[in-house]
Amino acid sequence: MTRTLDAPSRTGRRWKPRDVGCAVAGAASLALAAGAASTVAVPVDSDLGLLAVLPYPFWVGVVLLNVAFAVALRGDDAGPARRPVMLWLIAVLVLMLFGTAAFVTDIPRGEVAFRHLGIADALSTTQGINPDIDAYFNWPGFFALLATILGATGLDPVAVALWAPVFNMSLWLAAMGVLTRYLTRDPRRRWLALWLFCLGNWQDQDYLSPQAFGFFLYLVVIALLVGPLAARTPVFAGFKRTALEWWWRERSPAEPRQAHRVSAIAVVILLVAVICASHQLTPFMLLIAMIALTLSGRVWPSRLPLITAVLLSLWLVYPASAYLVGHPPLEDAGLLAAAEANVVDRVSGTAGHLVVVQVRMALTVVLWLLAAAGALRDWRRGRLDIRVVLLAVSPLVLFPAQAYGGEMLIRVSLFALPFVAVQACSVLLPRHRGWRPSAGAAAGLALTCSMLALLTVTGRFGNAQYDVFTDGEMAAVAAAQRLAPPGSAIISAAHPTPWRSDSYLEHKYRTIDELCQTDLSAEVCGPLVYNYARHNPAGAVLLLTRSSEASLVLQGATSERGFAELEDWLGAQNGVEFVFGNDDARAYRVAP
Amino acid sequence: MSGSVSRFTLALGLAAVVLSLVTLVGLPTPLQAVTATAVLVLLPGQALARLTPVTDAALGALLVLALGLATLTAVSTAMFYLAVWSWQACVVTMGAITVLACLARARTEASS
Repeated sequence: MTRTLDAPSRTGRRWKPRDVGCAVAGAASLALAAGAASTVAVPVDSDLGLLAVLPYPFWVGVVLLNVAFAVALRGDDAGPARRPVMLWLIAVLVLMLFGTAAFVTDIPRGEVAFRHLGIADALSTTQGINPDIDAYFNWPGFFALLATILGATGLDPVAVALWAPVFNMSLWLAAMGVLTRYLTRDPRRRWLALWLFCLGNWQDQDYLSPQAFGFFLYLVVIALLVGPLAARTPVFAGFKRTALEWWWRERSPAEPRQAHRVSAIAVVILLVAVICASHQLTPFMLLIAMIALTLSGRVWPSRLPLITAVLLSLWLVYPASAYLVGHPPLEDAGLLAAAEANVVDRVSGTAGHLVVVQVRMALTVVLWLLAAAGALRDWRRGRLDIRVVLLAVSPLVLFPAQAYGGEMLIRVSLFALPFVAVQACSVLLPRHRGWRPSAGAAAGLALTCSMLALLTVTGRFGNAQYDVFTDGEMAAVAAAQRLAPPGSAIISAAHPTPWRSDSYLEHKYRTIDELCQTDLSAEVCGPLVYNYARHNPAGAVLLLTRSSEASLVLQGATSERGFAELEDWLGAQNGVEFVFGNDDARAYRVAP
Repeated sequence: MSGSVSRFTLALGLAAVVLSLVTLVGLPTPLQAVTATAVLVLLPGQALARLTPVTDAALGALLVLALGLATLTAVSTAMFYLAVWSWQACVVTMGAITVLACLARARTEASS
């Protein structure tokens, strides 16, 4: 396939003291950060999340690592530090930012990874796919993969979920590393883009999930589109029909060998099919990106969007039809609805939680502003790469199309992030590409990156009060699943509950905030929950954990007092029996 | 003009057969994880990536991972839909895919 652009190679040169120093600084920063994180006590008792409880050596490690990176990136006149040093520093950053929670606790963070383990377990148990169960069984690709890997390797599912963020981030970076080789020949720009991609990644979508897997395949497809399947275009001659026709006809493939292009197309089709089978949103993001690149004349096989659209449609009308019958894709479309679900509904809660939400928004805005400034700078110099701009902007098209449970903005910002990072490099590096940054510029870069790291850790681990679980909560979940008879309901206070990792199909899983919607007072919510539990033929187990309570309080749905009143009210009803308790959780059995 | 089959192609095909059997028989956990990952993802990924004329090492390495994971996903999903899934069946199928890809490669090498 296409050879990547020639880049200055440092192979064969001897190691310099500066390179060794940067590598040692990376090791020291990892030791500082991991050591500091391992001293954090669980549960995290702050609405600012890990930011409030990480001891100062962690932050010393963060600053040291960013300084080492800036020094290594500055390098010398021949280019940045040697490749192994740059790779090592990125590996340390990944461990530091995405492995932090694993240094704090050996329980995976967040509820959803547990649920995904449960779906894979349910698939292995039933050995078939029933699309009527829920949406996951309409897009089962990733769960089929997970079930096979867990079964064949014998790995502990919880350990897999714990380290999934580090693994997924490594996959994403590998794909992005190849992708950026086709976008720029400046090695400093490539390394910095990878660095910024890590620093801007507060979205927390790298856990054990189909979207993380889909995003990896998305990046691989984009790498193939801008690499072996790229097209060269003549100078744009205007929007007149004849000029457009001439411009389109005069395109030529960047890869002259047809056999190589054909094999790349075959790979793209396989990856698209797997993406369609694994995740709802990713194929739409991919289709939009493909259309944008094709219309800009930068992709040679112009029928790829059509092939993708056909594959996507086939998946939707057959394997995913059971879900789509009750959930039309554009049901909650509209800019206003999207803004309300993605922004307005999220800006509520305690003062600390609001700070975390604002930090996430600020981090996104800062990166987009840097990218916009970089794009302006490149445009003025006549070297703006329209592919990067299109790939950064195209995910925005989906924002008004679906609220996606209030997560569309998060997903849009994740899909744009790699290209926002590439474009932001234009303003953080010297104007002339390939030039060595001055010492002052490197210091500024270290400072900027350290600030971004602070914002990312704040945004990413800002929900640690309720998404980092304790052993007591895990014991309570196990007890609830053991005590609940088949067919009964397990009712938790709210979603951050580490449940459903096994017996996914045996129980109905409900939460108090879903049953009661807006009013969680004992007078209104209590009877709703009690009646639901009593009317369930097999009864219910009511599970009240510290994290689910913290989630409701933190997001402003109730207060500690209101929650205690609700629990007291429920505990005093007929047929409700206290069956399990520890410092972090209580469980009540509700007789039918 | 005819050439000979490369040692790497032979080694890849042979490794797929041997490691598939070893994975099916079972090993202690860390070794089982390594052999299963090789049989399910890395070897088929490598064998399939070698069918594409990749000249760039970085892209080639990325394709090993992407093709290995994507093929395993496709195989596992199809088996679930056909209600014939077991991880052992997936190991056998991925081993067979690796051997077939090696045969295709060997044919190309022999005819070049």
